[in-house]
Amino acid sequence: MNHTLNITANNEASVVERLLQVTRYRGYQLAGLELTPMAEKAGLSITLTVSSDKPIHLLTSQLHKLYDVRDLQLASADIAALRA
Amino acid sequence: MNGAELVLKVLQQQGVDTIFGYPGGAIMPIYDAIYQSPVKHYLCRHEQGGAFSAIGYARSSGKVGVCLATSGPGATNLITSLADAMLDSVPLVAITGQVSQAVMGTDAFQEIDVLGLSLSVTKHSFMVRSADELAATLNQAFAIARSGRPGPVLVDIPKDVQLAVAGKLDVAAEPQSRALNTSLAQSAQARQLIANAKKPMAYIGGGVHMAGAMPQLQDFLAQCQMPSVTTLKGMGSVAKDNPNYLGMLGMHGTQAANLAVQQCDLLICLGARFDDRVTGNLKKFAPNAKVIHVDIDPAEINKVRFAEVSFLGDMRQILPAIASTTDCSDWLAHCSSLKQQHGWRYDHPGERIYAPLMLKQLSERMPDNSVVCCDVGQHQMWVAQHMRFSHPRNHLSSGGLGTMGFGLPAAIGAKLARPQDTVIAVSGDGSFMMNVQELGTIKRFRLPVKIVIIDNQRLGMVKQWQQLFFNERYSETDLSDNPDFVALAAAFAIPGHSVTRKDEVESALEAMFTWPGPYLLHVRIDEKDNVWPLVPPGAANEDMIMETN
Repeated sequence: MNHTLNITANNEASVVERLLQVTRYRGYQLAGLELTPMAEKAGLSITLTVSSDKPIHLLTSQLHKLYDVRDLQLASADIAALRA
Repeated sequence: MNGAELVLKVLQQQGVDTIFGYPGGAIMPIYDAIYQSPVKHYLCRHEQGGAFSAIGYARSSGKVGVCLATSGPGATNLITSLADAMLDSVPLVAITGQVSQAVMGTDAFQEIDVLGLSLSVTKHSFMVRSADELAATLNQAFAIARSGRPGPVLVDIPKDVQLAVAGKLDVAAEPQSRALNTSLAQSAQARQLIANAKKPMAYIGGGVHMAGAMPQLQDFLAQCQMPSVTTLKGMGSVAKDNPNYLGMLGMHGTQAANLAVQQCDLLICLGARFDDRVTGNLKKFAPNAKVIHVDIDPAEINKVRFAEVSFLGDMRQILPAIASTTDCSDWLAHCSSLKQQHGWRYDHPGERIYAPLMLKQLSERMPDNSVVCCDVGQHQMWVAQHMRFSHPRNHLSSGGLGTMGFGLPAAIGAKLARPQDTVIAVSGDGSFMMNVQELGTIKRFRLPVKIVIIDNQRLGMVKQWQQLFFNERYSETDLSDNPDFVALAAAFAIPGHSVTRKDEVESALEAMFTWPGPYLLHVRIDEKDNVWPLVPPGAANEDMIMETN
């Protein structure tokens, strides 16, 4: 099942590597990645799409505690599916 | 002031007076600053040893440990120690020199992408690009290392940044920290679960003492009147005189602990994480228990075991909020009878030294508040089973990573953190050789560390598994060509003695503790002795194998 995460992160050189490292290590496959630098030094807007049979909270809880991750939200479609 | 001098000033500002490391090309400016700094540097003989000493310092004192290494091989030698600190939640700041930015990315001499290498073994990693960022970055590194669930932080500093003019040191800016609010919203539900439980059990991990919640834990256990078990890292959390404490649970836990946890109807997990060495077959672990889980790391809640009720935040607030009286005297009596029925036996036949008995003797003879640093393997489990500790800071064992070679350098760090306390490194003949070079550090600083090597001339735990699960095919576990350990110690001006018989143990321990300096006691045991009980891989914790010979 695919899940989409909307992440706001510090615009640091290693932040994407770290997100991808955690995603791989925790057993989720990368299905899509979009990066948009925000206004001057405001950070990075990242849309990360992953697929896995594992519950998505096992990944979001690991990503959310990363120092450079400022905000992380499941896409609304995912939230609706989790509530269904 | 240059960047290197600023690094030392920030360390002082952070209250650091002891650091461990090994110099090299890309970190020479920082070592030049160390030359005149009041921060005391302890030269180890390998970067891994230095980092383990910093971990031993941190774990025995509760402070942040600091280690230094140069770029390239110096930095790669830190990786195992960073991983160890990550899995055991140890606050550690590792500072590495890096080649100058002008040559970074060119495969320069001793250049390696240590930041990339470190990503999976640190809580966070920084590369400092300008001397202007140094102070804030280092302060942030300390804040990250000690906040929330502690962990290791790497700060990689290129040589040109170390040499750049850094100006004056401002008052430390307040590091950013992510506030973790302690929510007690479910406390009524937790109290009700506890009050209604017929067979409650407290399962205590290293997180309790790291939260500074030892007093609250004793109050909680006294008010709730429930039995308790601990993990390897939680040992020493429960007061020695608590009659309802059943010991360590898990693969080599006590029978009473494992049987009682399997039978409980409410498991209260405090600062622990349902590690596979604790649970055995997860699907069969505490099968009838509801779970209350208290932790500071949100990622641990519902990671491997669903919790009916969970709390995040400060254990010191949470424990009093969920304490409730229970009515489970039958259960307490049952647990007590399990403990009586399955107590340890030390009536080992023959004259040869029986390691569990020797460690019990060591435990009874060592001064109060001694720190015991273990390596990894059979001796590590025997220490956990047969020695008693008054605080988790007195039992340093590589739990999550299970790193052989941890014990000797960790003991060096512990001795420097707590010079007034006796520090004992208990090692195996396999593990000891993994960081044996640190005998040089003990010699250089005349550190009165007591070393006990339990020698079965085997990689004992691997050999035990080969015996039990690999048809006695003893592949590459014979160490019968070990060096003469007493002679090896003597080469570092460390006296020692070797014993082989039970009746020699008491006097040998007496000699070791009486000697004012470092000392090595070599204890030869029978290679046939194994660690019991053992929960086989894939089995439930009640299916322990007991001694077979």
